[in-house]
Amino acid sequence: MEIEIQITSQPIGAQKKMPEKFSGSAGAFAEFSGIVRASENGQKIAALEYEAYSPMAESEMRRILETLAEKFPCLAARVSHRLGIIPVGETAIYIGITAKHRVEAFALLAGFMDRLKQDVPIWKRRSLTPAEFAALKKS
Amino acid sequence: MRVLFFAQTRDTTGTAELEMKISGSLGVEEIWRALIAAQPRLAAFQKTTRLACNGEYADAETRFIDADEVALIPPVSGG
Repeated sequence: MEIEIQITSQPIGAQKKMPEKFSGSAGAFAEFSGIVRASENGQKIAALEYEAYSPMAESEMRRILETLAEKFPCLAARVSHRLGIIPVGETAIYIGITAKHRVEAFALLAGFMDRLKQDVPIWKRRSLTPAEFAALKKS
Repeated sequence: MRVLFFAQTRDTTGTAELEMKISGSLGVEEIWRALIAAQPRLAAFQKTTRLACNGEYADAETRFIDADEVALIPPVSGG
């Protein structure tokens, strides 16, 4: 399985598509975007801040994908995780799985997210209230 | 040995990393003892925080030497 992992401080755009090279062999392309919600622990927020141990986060994501692919063979996996301050409504994580069949694509995607939340060294560091976020944008 | 702190462990120690000298090869429990001796407030994290050695989670078999990079990995919350 081809694996592409990106850990970035830049916004994750909507430009991701199924890799062209799999056109014809792939029968499924499953995407997931994890988006920052406007509330955290019952509090209204404007943004979340993420941090990571980036080299290990990348290697753990790769290891998890390779392990899952033994059980759910897929053609390709693309993962992007954004770090730093992410405003409400923007994407914190994007996953695109290319596979021959939907069953493997869905299973790999769901399994990856479950494992990511247990083992990949990325943290939500703090939530920013609307006032804190506005002050940060001014500074 | 280079020790990296993240998330709550960084807040508690007030630093992102420190240098710690160790002799020979040590297991996870011995590394924790050395860490707590250097930063006593880390004791509160021992039960919930995993150690990584050179970017991989440590386990009962892992031996750490002075040239290794150790990271403290509190419960993660990515995605």
